[in-house]
Order: sequence, then structure tokens, then C-alpha cells
Amino acid sequence: MLEGSEGMLLLERDLLDQQVIDVHGRKVVRVNDVDLYRDVLDQHPILKIASVDVGARGAVRRLLKGAVPNAALRSLLRRIPPRAIPWEFVDLIESDPARRVKLKISNDRLAELHPADIADIVEDLAPDDREAVFETLDHGVAADALEEVDPKLQKSIVESLDSDRVADIMEEMNPDAAADLLGDLSDEHSEAILQEMQPEERQEMRDLLEFDEDTAAGRMTTYYLSVEFGGTVADAIATLRAFEGGPAAVSTIFLTDSHGTLVGAVPLANLVLSPSSQPLLSLVSEPLISCHQETKENEVAELFDKYNLLALPVVDDQKMLVGMITADDIISFLRSKI
Amino acid sequence: MKWLRRWKIQILVLFSVLGPGFITANVDNDPGGIFTYSQTGAQFGYSLLWTMIPITVALIVVQEMVARMGAVTGKGLSDLIREEYGLRTTVFVMLGLVITNFGNIVTEFAGIAGSMELFGLSKYVTVPVCALIVWLLVIKGAQKNVEKIFLAGSFFYITYIAAGVLAHPDWTHSLIATVKPPTLESFKEKGAIFTVIGLVGTTIAPWMQFYLQASIVEKGVTKRQYKASRLDVIVGCIFTDVVAWFIIVVCAATLFAHGFHNITSAKDAAEALRPLAGQYAFILFALGLFNAALFSATILPLSTVYTVCEGLGFESGLDNKFSEAPVFYWLYTLLIALGAGVILIPNLPLFKIILGSQVVNGIVLPFVLIFMLLLINKKDLMGEYVNSTLMNVLAWTTTVVSIVLTLIYVVGLVTGSGG
Repeated sequence: MLEGSEGMLLLERDLLDQQVIDVHGRKVVRVNDVDLYRDVLDQHPILKIASVDVGARGAVRRLLKGAVPNAALRSLLRRIPPRAIPWEFVDLIESDPARRVKLKISNDRLAELHPADIADIVEDLAPDDREAVFETLDHGVAADALEEVDPKLQKSIVESLDSDRVADIMEEMNPDAAADLLGDLSDEHSEAILQEMQPEERQEMRDLLEFDEDTAAGRMTTYYLSVEFGGTVADAIATLRAFEGGPAAVSTIFLTDSHGTLVGAVPLANLVLSPSSQPLLSLVSEPLISCHQETKENEVAELFDKYNLLALPVVDDQKMLVGMITADDIISFLRSKI
Repeated sequence: MKWLRRWKIQILVLFSVLGPGFITANVDNDPGGIFTYSQTGAQFGYSLLWTMIPITVALIVVQEMVARMGAVTGKGLSDLIREEYGLRTTVFVMLGLVITNFGNIVTEFAGIAGSMELFGLSKYVTVPVCALIVWLLVIKGAQKNVEKIFLAGSFFYITYIAAGVLAHPDWTHSLIATVKPPTLESFKEKGAIFTVIGLVGTTIAPWMQFYLQASIVEKGVTKRQYKASRLDVIVGCIFTDVVAWFIIVVCAATLFAHGFHNITSAKDAAEALRPLAGQYAFILFALGLFNAALFSATILPLSTVYTVCEGLGFESGLDNKFSEAPVFYWLYTLLIALGAGVILIPNLPLFKIILGSQVVNGIVLPFVLIFMLLLINKKDLMGEYVNSTLMNVLAWTTTVVSIVLTLIYVVGLVTGSGG
């Protein structure tokens, strides 16, 4: 009996009264009732799930069924507005990996949501279910969602997953977010994860981990765009096209000399509005605002406020460009202060 | 000086783990509890102090289990009951819980009214003001602050220890009475059995199980941090019963010694203390009562709404905004408004409301305890964290004893044979 049910979804055990993800409403809900409909398969009538009810109507029906006459119940139910979620918007949560495979439970629909919504949903789940969701999402989606999750939960999620799985996810994360997270873990654990990473990413992480978390260097990302200062708009656009770091990282293009010293910063808008032969040096914003890698976060936030920045270059003692802080880093920092 | 530093570090570590377990255990000493302890001391002197150790053990056993369930499953007790035993059972338990908790909330506000009347303040002023304070505290305070305020409230119970010292009890006698097993003789005294039952009944209540598990979950405690939470629970239960011990001792050293054997409320106890133990002991006792009442008037409504919203699937939790969790916040508001409002109705038979809620309490408790024990022994839920055999023996004994005692208590209340 038990063996037979392993590979089947049982309405009573797996659906009724359990939590599911409402992909359309973007939240975790509890199933009060299940609506079925008749369909025909190979000329045999079959029942299929039309929707799950998460509102008062389903609850009242199940509570009173058999306790009051059917006719009275039906007229009562008609008065309660339904809160049904069509079956195609329901994602199941199954924490047992073996059953997940047998039942072909994937979180494809969840994966299509905005990472911040996925993060909110995940935060509402119990630890085992959280782990289950992160095991089914692909690395890229898991990485984006993990960045949005509350830092305390980030840590507990990462601790529950295998090191190689975490390494795969972290390689897809923003290096600064990944480094922050690694910094929160125990030394052994973060070392175990680093060992599973590609050599290139591992080195980058190690460099970032060297920095104090509450300085500019601790907040910055190393995914930024820089072009030789003698170039033109066309050169910049070409570099832009080849760039892999997402749209948030390209709001400003930095100009450097052959040693990597920061020379100027060109906002993306200036680039787009100018002919391609225009020299980049004529487009830089004045004055050039940058900060040293040891600058405290508070001062960094002040710079953003004072100059209305979207991105701020970070330099080392030799004025070499080493990273960039973006406005969303500052928003996270300020929110953590509230 | 090395030992001093080490001692300091240990104290700091201890403080850092205190949280839900400590708070929950302390709310157990609400005005109803304080009255029961005062009455025990006034009526029987030191002779029932032996109950404190077994009661503490029972409290720890029960609270440890829910804390463990919260940490391991990441779900509240009502969530688990819903998932494992279905909607009807859940609604039944929730309904009982709301009724008995509402009775408790009324008692807490009665405690506020009584303790403030000791200082000459009218209940028509103090009860509405305190209801507002309680409401604002939870609605406007961020979750982190609320826990800090609750912890501060828990420590305020120290006033009872101070009052105990001021009452100059017979320390040797009281300590011996605590560790010496009772003789059959001691049960022959009229009302002794009923009082012992009352002590157990006031200690293990259904709401605590739901509240503790929900706050462990909301705090985000996981299997890995569970050891700290267990310490939190144990320290909380011991502190709570040390306070209870002192309340009994104060009343034994003063009221019992001077022949005041019958008190009808905790307020009475404080009033009778004034000429016997002095002004300071009186003030400490009265302030302790006020703190206990205010503190439990905050937590009980909160605990009730957590439980109901979780079990029935409404959005819940202090990290939500009012608009995100309307049922949660509205029910909270309603419980406080009604609980405080009842106190202000002149000539209301308060005693009957409280009696009724204790009867419901006695009916709900067996279900809650048995569900807990069944749930915590489920392998697919708890994995390696299921109860050990020893724990099961302890837990089932505690459960059976408290169920039997509670039922006797309820029957006694209904037929009026007790007290």
C-alpha cells in the first residue's frame, strides 16, 4: 500500500490541508478544498483537478459536509465567494527527493517569477521545504532568488544544501553577494564550498573575502565595465555587447589607462545619445567621484546621497580600479540600518 | 580574577540564548497563577512546597517537546495538527482554544484592574489605558523589540523574589519542605488534593504549547540552533518555578503564619501582606502582579491569533503589515478590546466567565497534549529527533497525570466540591 502510493499524488495526503505555492498570487497558501471535473480519456470518464480552493468556501464545505442537509449547505456555499486557484497556477512542495522525482514535481512555474517574489515565497516555507525548492530550481534562478532572501535565512538555506550545489549556485550569484554569504559561514564550510568552485571564481571569491565587510571593498562587485580612456563610443558599445554581468552593472562605464588606473566615468545615457565616433573622454561626468576600498559604508552611502549616484568606482592605494558599488547595494545597506 | 571573567562570559552566553522559552514559561505566572500560589501558601504554609520540583520537571518535559518540534519542522503546532489530522479536528481545537484563552485574557485584565486598585487607581482608567498600551506595543513595535520588551517583562518577576526575602521566611524549613517527599498525612488536610491539582492546572496550559512552538518558528530557530533553545526552555521553566516558590513562601511566612488562610484573589494577598511584611514587600508584590497581568495580557491575545491564523491558513506574523495580515491583526485587536471591555461592565459575574473558560481548558488540554505526543513520535516529521524511550516515558506520564488531574479539577469546579 505504502509502496504503491510512493509514485502517486494522493489528494488527501499530499494536497488537502497542505501548503502549496500559488504562482499567480505569488504566495504560499493552504489548500482547503479541491475542485474536480470530468474529462474523457480513451473514451473512459476520468476526474481531473480543476482548481484548489484556499478560501472560506472550501473550509466551510468540508467542515459542514454531513453535518447539515446537503441542500442547506449548497445554498450557504453559494453565498460565500470562492477563492480558487486554477491547477495550472499551483506548484507543489515535496521535501522527499525520491518522491519528487517519481511524481515529476518541478518548480518550473515558480522559476518564472521575479527572483524577489521567489525569495518571499521561500521565506514563508518551513526549512525542509525551502531546501526542496532550492534543489529543484536551476542554478541561475536559485542564485538570483538567494540574493534576495533575508541574510539570516540565506545562511540557513546554504547550510542545508550540499557544498557542490551551493558552489554551482554561488558561481551564478553576484560576486559581492556570494562573498558576503561565504563570509557569514563557518571557515570549514566556506572552504568546502570554495573547493567545489571553478578556479577562476574561487580566486575572485578569495580576493573579495580578504576585505572587511563594512568597507567599500566589502560591498563592491568586481563585475564592472572598463574601457581604455583613448577609445570612442563605438569601442565602449562593443565592450558593452560582450559584457556578461546583467543590466544593473552597466549603468556606468569606467575609463582606465593602460595600468588600470581610473581616469573617468561615462554614464550609459551619454553613450547612447552620442555618435559612435565621439571620443569617450569628452563624455565623462565631472567631477569624477570615486572612493578608496577601505572607505566605511556610511561614508559610501553619503557619497551616493550627495552626488545622486547610480554607481561608484572603488580604487586601491595606487588609484587602480578594483570594483564598483551600485545603488541597490546601498539600498540594502540602508535598509539593514532601519 | 580569571574565574570572574569566565563567569561573566557564561552569564552573557546565557542571556543571549534567552528568548521564546524563557518568555513562555514566565507568562505561566499570570495573575491566575499568582493567585493559586498565594492561596497555596496562605492555606497550607510550607507543606505543599514539594510540588514545585515535579511541576518544574513536567513543565520542562512538555515545553522541550514543542520547542524541538518547532525547530525541526519549522512549522507551528496548529500547522502540524492541520496537516496531519485535518480541518475538522483543527477547527475544533482552535475553537476551544479561543474560548479558554479569552477567559484567560479576561483574568489578565482583571489582574491589571486589581493591582492598580491597590495603588488607589480606578479600573475605568487603568484598564483602557493598559489595553491601549498592550495593543500599541505589538502593533507598533518591530518584532525584534517586542521580544526584548517581553524579556524585560520576564525579568521583572524578580520583584517576587525580593518580596520573599523581605517577608523573612524560615529558610531551613521551607527548603526542607521543598525536597522532602510528601507523606500521606499531608493529603488528609481538607482541600490539599484540590490545591495540588490547581497548581498543575495553572502550570501546563494549552496556549503555551502553541505559543512557544510558533515563536520558535518565527525566530527562525533550526535543528542546528536547537541546543540553545533547549537551554532557553530549561532556564525559563526553572526561573518561573523559583518565582512561584517565592510567592508560596511569602504567603506562608506571613498570611499562613498569622492565620489568614482564605484569600479570594491575588489582590487580597497583597493587601493582607502590607501590615504583616511591611510597605516594601507590599509594593513589590503589587508591582509584580501588575507586571504579570500586563505581560500576559499582551502575550495571550498574540498567542491566540498566531495559533488560529496558522491553523486556518490566514496570513500571520508580526513581520507582516496590517494590510497583509488583516485577520491576524483584527482578531488581536478584538480579543484585547473585548477582554478589557468585559472588566468594565459593572456587576458582571466574572467568576462564571473564568470558571467556564477553565472547563473548556480542561477539555482542550488532553487533545493538545496527545496530539503533541503523537506528532513528536512521527518519524517522517521529526526524523532522528523523535522522542527517546526515556523521554516518552516521562512525557506520557506527565500527560496522563496532568489530564487526569485537570479532569478532576474541572469536575470539582463544575460540581462546586472544591476550594
